Amino acid sequence: MTEQVIVNGIYSGVQYALIALGLTLIFALMNVLNFAHGQMYVLGAFVTYYVYGVLGLPFWLALVATALTLGIVGVLFEKFLFRPVLRRSSREESSMLLAAGTALLLESLILIVFGEKHRGVPSVVSGVIKIGDAYLPMGRLLVIVLSAILIGGFILFMQYTKPGRALRALAQDREAAQLQGVDVGTYSMIGFAMGAMLAGMAGAMLVAISGVNSGLGTWISIKAFIMVMIGGAGVVSGAIVGGLILGMIESIGYQMLPGGETYLFIFIGLIIFLAIRPHGLMGKPWG
Amino acid sequence: MSILEVRQLTKRFGGLAAVNEVSFNVEAGEILSIIGPNGAGKSTLFKLISSFLRATSGEVIYEGENIVSKAPHIVARKGVVRTFQETTIFKEMTALDNVVIAHHLRSRASLAGFYWASRTAKEDEAQFRESAEEILNYLGIGHVGNEIARNLPHGYLRALGMAIGLAAQPKLLLFDEPFAGMNHEETQQAVKQVYGIRDRGLTVLLVEHDMPAVMKISDRIVVLNFGQKIAEGTPTEIQDNEQVIEAYLGREDEEIGL
Amino acid sequence: MMKTTTSKLAVLGIALVVVLVILPLIFSGKLYYMGVLTTAMALSIAAAGVWLTFYIGRINIGQGAFALIGGYACAILIMKAEMSFWIAMPLAGVFSAIIGVLIGYPILRLRGVYFAMITLSLTETARLSAQSLSSLTGGAKGIINIPLPGALEIFGFTLIPDFSTIDSHLAFYYLAAVLLIATYAAMYRLVNSRIGWLFRSLQQNEDLASSIGVNIAMLRVIAFAISSFLAGIGGAFFVAVQQSVYPNTFQVQDSVYFMLYCFLGGLGYVFGPIVGTFVLFLSFEGLQGLNEYQPLVYSVLMIALMLWLPNGLLSLGEGRRDKAARSAASAKDANVADSDAKAKG
Repeated sequence: MTEQVIVNGIYSGVQYALIALGLTLIFALMNVLNFAHGQMYVLGAFVTYYVYGVLGLPFWLALVATALTLGIVGVLFEKFLFRPVLRRSSREESSMLLAAGTALLLESLILIVFGEKHRGVPSVVSGVIKIGDAYLPMGRLLVIVLSAILIGGFILFMQYTKPGRALRALAQDREAAQLQGVDVGTYSMIGFAMGAMLAGMAGAMLVAISGVNSGLGTWISIKAFIMVMIGGAGVVSGAIVGGLILGMIESIGYQMLPGGETYLFIFIGLIIFLAIRPHGLMGKPWG
Repeated sequence: MSILEVRQLTKRFGGLAAVNEVSFNVEAGEILSIIGPNGAGKSTLFKLISSFLRATSGEVIYEGENIVSKAPHIVARKGVVRTFQETTIFKEMTALDNVVIAHHLRSRASLAGFYWASRTAKEDEAQFRESAEEILNYLGIGHVGNEIARNLPHGYLRALGMAIGLAAQPKLLLFDEPFAGMNHEETQQAVKQVYGIRDRGLTVLLVEHDMPAVMKISDRIVVLNFGQKIAEGTPTEIQDNEQVIEAYLGREDEEIGL
Repeated sequence: MMKTTTSKLAVLGIALVVVLVILPLIFSGKLYYMGVLTTAMALSIAAAGVWLTFYIGRINIGQGAFALIGGYACAILIMKAEMSFWIAMPLAGVFSAIIGVLIGYPILRLRGVYFAMITLSLTETARLSAQSLSSLTGGAKGIINIPLPGALEIFGFTLIPDFSTIDSHLAFYYLAAVLLIATYAAMYRLVNSRIGWLFRSLQQNEDLASSIGVNIAMLRVIAFAISSFLAGIGGAFFVAVQQSVYPNTFQVQDSVYFMLYCFLGGLGYVFGPIVGTFVLFLSFEGLQGLNEYQPLVYSVLMIALMLWLPNGLLSLGEGRRDKAARSAASAKDANVADSDAKAKG
């Protein structure tokens, strides 16, 4: 029983970490709380549904298509919406409200293009493995492995490549980065696109397990916010830790509370936690 | 008579003591400076005294009462007011309104009185406006009273910061690096203003980098290094103190080493 | 000076006549339009609270939670305690405000996105609580068949007749109008009093405010309590109109909308939330003919507004005044230059 709870927790946690990573990246780079993150996730899931489920193309190709689509969405959003608003507006709220607007936009677009039905796709791999007393379907194992690869790849990219270093410089201090010759505009765009891609990839993987519907976005965004609050906004390690913790707590909660109370307790716990640690486990003050 | 006694004041961040058992007194009517190399714990000490940080242990006795770790507005009410560096102002208000609102502590009306604009509230308001104008004129920036604060040039902002501090009518005014980023001429001007403030009967405690200005302005100096007090005395005493020289030189070597 | 006061009074007078006489005359009996207007007014009341939290520098996405709390409080007081609506509604507001104080005290220490995220979670928490506390709230089935407001009598004198004996749509319309006017009159007074100055000082710099002796923690809680109170009143009213309340009556989307209404109306203007709510809510209703394209057009409209008027709809008037002032100023400069030239000549 316990082992099953742990396996489920890891499965959710790794995906969640992927979602939170994208949110925190966008936040760290542009100080924008991306309300549309959940909708980007849903869009990713639908692109995969279409390429893999409807067109019948290979799963990996669907993942590539998802990454490309979300990358383009990210670039467009950054260049035509966030950049002008961030440049002009005197109040920090504007970017957040714009993000809320883009969430509505994406959601209604998704609704028009893909409809409101819940959609699923055939499993990518079949079979079940047994770890101790716990069962882990191969599909879920694939999600865990792919998520871990993406997270690892992301960290390596940020640590060891030139664009990665530029992005980190940008996240740390925008003005200083600009003085050091970092092309702030281009890298903001790259960062936003990467954040959107990470959300989309998480959605792409999930559609193969539990399917997707157009109304899922807000709830995913809320979950992403919870993770970021736990770990601390704008910190990569915080996003990963926050994701894993939420996955684990959720798994324990679902085991112990068969009703819908799990999230009620998570929210109450979160409020108490934030009263004690306002910036999460690893956050910077007033990030 | 000591207006402020700092006793064994300590602040730890994790295991690290940023301020370690520091004690000194501030005498009424003097100008006392806290100096030290970068990272010596000056600004932490400053925040502890003004209650913008909670102390790990130790006491800050102001006029016989321990005020350590009380809320900043309570400390301000008792007469210990800090200033900020120049970017900390009410940016979207006019300079005059910045100073008017800084009279808040002197309001006699209650919140309800504010809401209904009671007679007391109206009297207060008129009086504050008059006093704010007086303060701005005193600091030589009366002519920009109606400018929106964020549009003011640097020198004016610093003076505005002082004006806000003065308007709160403190007995002890704490200055956070009042000469930072100034050229020689501006510093001269600011030094004069600080003297002026002392001459209004206030006690002044300041944290500062600018050595020449500190040497010129201070009655006494407290030197910190690695969170500990290493010296205390008049400017001449401090200039000749070997530990102080070492602390500054040692740090310089390190910087060169980097 | 005199002139602006008179013109302000004139605008106010016209607005009152329109709201209290002309609109009801035009739409009386047209239930759909009456309903839309009444709802927009009730939403404007709750939006005023969100605006006030913006005003102290906090982004509040939790208004749905407090509207839901107020709605349930009102429903439960009427159904279980058999209270009159006229007592239940203010009590619902007070109850929301008390919850606002209890929750606000710890979370108002958070700023920026942290506060925004935690308030967003509050809305979801309220919904889940309503679902879980089924002995009190009826769970997912909600509370239904809430009677219409009865008569309000004082010393045997009927101030307000029983809603079921009159045109209840018109009665609700007038109730909403009166509440709306009272709310915004009180807000206007608040913002233009010295408390308004204190709130602005919080918005611009909390550290500086506390250094000059402002009790920032208390003022934040006061602002949040007022905000929650208004949400509670708005929620209670809404539930009375619907005669039912469910966990989904107010959800995250509503909280987000409240925030957007304030923003698009203009965060710098007391009447911003009314303008934002009316323009957006009415245009959303107006776009219904577009069927599935309605939300799309609506969101595009909203984003376009944000790009075009980042300081809100009411900044339109400001811009005109600014331009007028500027051209007047430059005319003056020109005169000065002229006279300078003459002096030199």
